[in-house]
Amino acid sequence: MKARRADNPVTETVSALLIPFMQIYALYLIAHGDLGPGGGFQGGAVFAASLVLRAIVFGLDADEERRYERLAGACASAGVLLYGGIGLLCMLRGGAFLDYKALPFADPKTAYHLGVYGIELGVGLAVAGALLLLFMKTAGSRDD
Amino acid sequence: MFEAAALAVLLAAAMALSRALTGPSIYDRILAVNVMGTKTVTLLALIGFIYERPHFLDIAITYALINFIATIAFLRYRERGDLRI
Repeated sequence: MKARRADNPVTETVSALLIPFMQIYALYLIAHGDLGPGGGFQGGAVFAASLVLRAIVFGLDADEERRYERLAGACASAGVLLYGGIGLLCMLRGGAFLDYKALPFADPKTAYHLGVYGIELGVGLAVAGALLLLFMKTAGSRDD
Repeated sequence: MFEAAALAVLLAAAMALSRALTGPSIYDRILAVNVMGTKTVTLLALIGFIYERPHFLDIAITYALINFIATIAFLRYRERGDLRI
């Protein structure tokens, strides 16, 4: 990470320490969604918040900005695709929409667990991408 | 024991809130809001102990992370007049 401006070293140091922790924590929230508090939405929101913090404190040049925007859009679309894909796969295999027991795994308990896991991952991707895209569109330097 | 600590934290949060409402300068208000966020984190952890639900610690960590970003964003907005990156 490079600093574009001569900025406050305190915020930069704290952010550099905090951002990796936030991202790991966001993945923990997504992965633990069915056991504790959190889940796809909260994990995605924390992940997007870490990238917003990075953009606010360190700044982004035009190239990074374009890359962030493309990546955020792709993540949002991929999350929806994952969610809908798992739901439709259940229908194709003879169950209802999001009927995890119809997923092609031997043990219905495993199928249920992995199904929930995939859904949480899809929600997390979609939320992180959409929130980051909103931030980039409102705070970005390009007007288009 | 935890209940008494929670009450003390609530009292401190109320004092911070009064400073946020009356604070002469914008920095008093920003600092007061930040202090209230810290009190909220402590209160969440205490509630987790009072009701013996350790999951509240996860919520407290999440709140601490988000609270920090909000303060940084406020100060950046105050410094430059916009949030353009």
